[in-house]
Amino acid sequence: MNLSLIALLCCTAQTAQQPKTQGDAPRKNWVVSAERVYTAAGRSLEHGTVVVQGAKIGMVSSGSEDNGPETLACYAVTPGLVDASVRINSGALSVEQSREETPELRVTDTLSAYDIAWDAQAGSGVTCVLAAAPDLNVIGGLAAVLKTAGEPSIEKRTVKNDAVLRGAIGSQPSRGNHPAFGRPTDFYSRRPTTRMGVEWEWRKSFYEAAASRKDPARAFKGSTQVLAALDGKLTLDIQAWTTQDIRTAVFLKEELEKEPQLGGKPRLVIDAAAEAWKEPELLVRSHTSIVLPPFPEDGRTDDGAFMAWNTAALLVEQGVPIALSAHGDTSPAGRLSMQAGYAMQGGLDFDQALAAVTINPARMLGVEDRVGSLEVGKDADLVLWNGEPFQATSRVIGVIVDGALVLDPRTKQ
Amino acid sequence: MKTSMFTNLARFCALAALVSFAPALQASGGKIVIKAGRVITQAGADIQNGVIVIENGRISAVGPDTKAPWDADVLEHPELVAFPGYVEAHSNRGMDRPNENIEVAPFLDVRDSIDPISFYFEDSLRAGVTTINIQQGNSCVIGGQGMIVKPFGITIEQMAVRTQSGIKVVAGLRPGASRATQAQALRRAFGDLRRYLEKLVQDTRDGKDSARREALFQGKDMDKDENKKGRAMEGSATWKVKDLEIVPRGEIDDKQEPLLRMIEGKLPVFLYCDSATSVGLALEVIRENGLAATTTLVLEGDSWKAADQIAAANLPVILSPNLVYTEREPVTGKEIQTFVPGVFDKKNVRFALQSLTPSAQSLWFQAATCVAWGLERKKALDAVTRTPAEILKLGKRVGSLEAGKDGNVLLLSGDPLAVKTSVQYVVLEGNLVYDRSKDVRVKHLLEGVEQNNAAPTGAQATDDGDDDHKKVPDEIQKKHDAGEKKDEPKKDEDKHDHGGKKD
Repeated sequence: MNLSLIALLCCTAQTAQQPKTQGDAPRKNWVVSAERVYTAAGRSLEHGTVVVQGAKIGMVSSGSEDNGPETLACYAVTPGLVDASVRINSGALSVEQSREETPELRVTDTLSAYDIAWDAQAGSGVTCVLAAAPDLNVIGGLAAVLKTAGEPSIEKRTVKNDAVLRGAIGSQPSRGNHPAFGRPTDFYSRRPTTRMGVEWEWRKSFYEAAASRKDPARAFKGSTQVLAALDGKLTLDIQAWTTQDIRTAVFLKEELEKEPQLGGKPRLVIDAAAEAWKEPELLVRSHTSIVLPPFPEDGRTDDGAFMAWNTAALLVEQGVPIALSAHGDTSPAGRLSMQAGYAMQGGLDFDQALAAVTINPARMLGVEDRVGSLEVGKDADLVLWNGEPFQATSRVIGVIVDGALVLDPRTKQ
Repeated sequence: MKTSMFTNLARFCALAALVSFAPALQASGGKIVIKAGRVITQAGADIQNGVIVIENGRISAVGPDTKAPWDADVLEHPELVAFPGYVEAHSNRGMDRPNENIEVAPFLDVRDSIDPISFYFEDSLRAGVTTINIQQGNSCVIGGQGMIVKPFGITIEQMAVRTQSGIKVVAGLRPGASRATQAQALRRAFGDLRRYLEKLVQDTRDGKDSARREALFQGKDMDKDENKKGRAMEGSATWKVKDLEIVPRGEIDDKQEPLLRMIEGKLPVFLYCDSATSVGLALEVIRENGLAATTTLVLEGDSWKAADQIAAANLPVILSPNLVYTEREPVTGKEIQTFVPGVFDKKNVRFALQSLTPSAQSLWFQAATCVAWGLERKKALDAVTRTPAEILKLGKRVGSLEAGKDGNVLLLSGDPLAVKTSVQYVVLEGNLVYDRSKDVRVKHLLEGVEQNNAAPTGAQATDDGDDDHKKVPDEIQKKHDAGEKKDEPKKDEDKHDHGGKKD
């Protein structure tokens, strides 16, 4: 009886192990031969070769190399693109709305690797993304950095779980809420109902979490995560579109640093900072990184914000680290590579635009040791182009994620 | 009091200047010479350091060594690229409250809906679109008559390139209709026309004068020869109304007359198909009513799946702004993408593209997308210049830079399909109508401006007034006065130089 149970346990253990060994099995080596190799690591090569060994980059060299059927030829090769605000989730079902702050909840618990949105991302050249819950709560929870292709398992595609603590400042978390008085109490009769209320929730969380250091009785659900963000162990990723909300985020960061009872060292990334161009000096002063939303045709973005087309160029000039985002759009006009093109229309040069969709977001998310540039030993995430990247006349024709060919340039032309 | 009177006077003068500007310059027979580092003529090879001479609104010469008339204004920009104005084959923008409620409305004309002050025209000019065919009524059965305009001028008359440029017929689905009711309504519209004309013939035979009375009531001069005369029904429809010649033309109701003109092949047809299944109905309508020679299909959705039938019918098409059609594989759920222009290119169907948005993703972007998906560059550029011009029967006027054509020239900062390229100048029928360095709105969009967050979309409050870009740029005059080229390169032009290495 006991024996058979042990045997059964062994069996299940083995089956559970099996996919992992499959995943680790040596993959085909690919040799990518391109007229332009844009590494996003300082140097670009003309007529270069990138060799993929297993799931990693084995070699980046100039000169072309023909390795027979394993050679993939293209005009240009870049690192896989990284989108720090991809906004793929299960909608409102990804948000626990019984509280305004849910710092301890993980978005990965609600994601499906079978969602075809991932395929569209991979096909458009985006190989690594930050997935977060929609910003309906003040502190939405823990977001994860994922690959967009590979085995259909969120665990296996995860590059970094609990990469950032995601939240929002502005009108979104309070939208739809109404005060409790004067009306029958319902689900939406909760705080906050204003921008002020949203900010108060942020500060309350940090002060309460800091107090719980000395008095464990004051700890609350998720205070560990809030403390980690306060101490800089977890990057704070806050959505704030308008100037007033960007200010609020920056002043919050500075308060966390200066207030003796908090003593924080937070790292801050502001997402969707459309109006960052208005007061870039604030961002320089506070060492804040910026993720820009997609470029709007008429300048108008969400939350009543206005984003000028030179925003990216202006911020780079001022020394603010920036990343571009497509917010999940993969259409010819909205895809991430086109956002880089639009940033170039606004005056950004090519190398900076490349960095803004590869190594910069990788750094912001703390995964620069694995993705974001073509360097030996990094993950073999490559994008193959039929022309100059970020031009409207070019398209992604091949994609390699973790050494596996996701989009084959030889079949799709 | 005094000040306000003065401002009013100034405003009046400014308005008067605007109103009189376009026709006045055209009438004066001004000559303008454009010298560009590269001239993409869209008619043969590109010309390095080319010269374009425009006289009386028309191009009189294009070439590398063409001599400039001594008395011409010169626009000399060796750093820029000259390109013909883009041609928008079909648009339902730029109107204020167009008709979408009356099912059969051939008597309506978009000239009554076009709003010259609409931002759409400003955006079009900025994006280098110089000829636009406005056709509304995709949600009707038979929509109104369209109009071809240029995006400059403050009255419809100034904007007009051709009135009554075509009529919209809808094989697609209007909201709330089923396929069957839409098909029935469309067939009935032609049946109604036939019955109406037959009744007219019968009434004339019977000596009833109700039609004449109606015509007089509508204010027609029934003593005019053209109104008195009858004419046999022309066209190649499978049905004919016998003895129509006994009915004086003037007695045909204005409401039905455009339909008759359409049947007779005198009014081009823009036939809207929302899906492949509606193409069958469209082809039936074309066959029954003899519209094959005058019809252009306006395609949306999965209409491209009927490409074989369209090719067999030898019809030109205007493609959906969404050039890449995405659908789900029904079993695996995977996304399948189809590059639509590629489908028609393989079948040798003539196609024109439509802008995705009026500004950022205008016609250049659509052509560039085609190149990205593997279409030859020449074919992609043709689909936004020459082909739409031919489809609109304007092939002799616009679409390329050749002697005899309208003087519509863009000066671009680089290759037309490079992402950093911008339209620096637009010359429209020999008039310089757009100068980017004076475009306040583009400056705001590019560089940002302190503004009210509460301002509604598109209405950015500026001190410079709405029509700033419509004033005559004094660039030409300055050049002429200075007598030499003294253009220090602008900062952002330098930045634009990078362009695509591939191009």
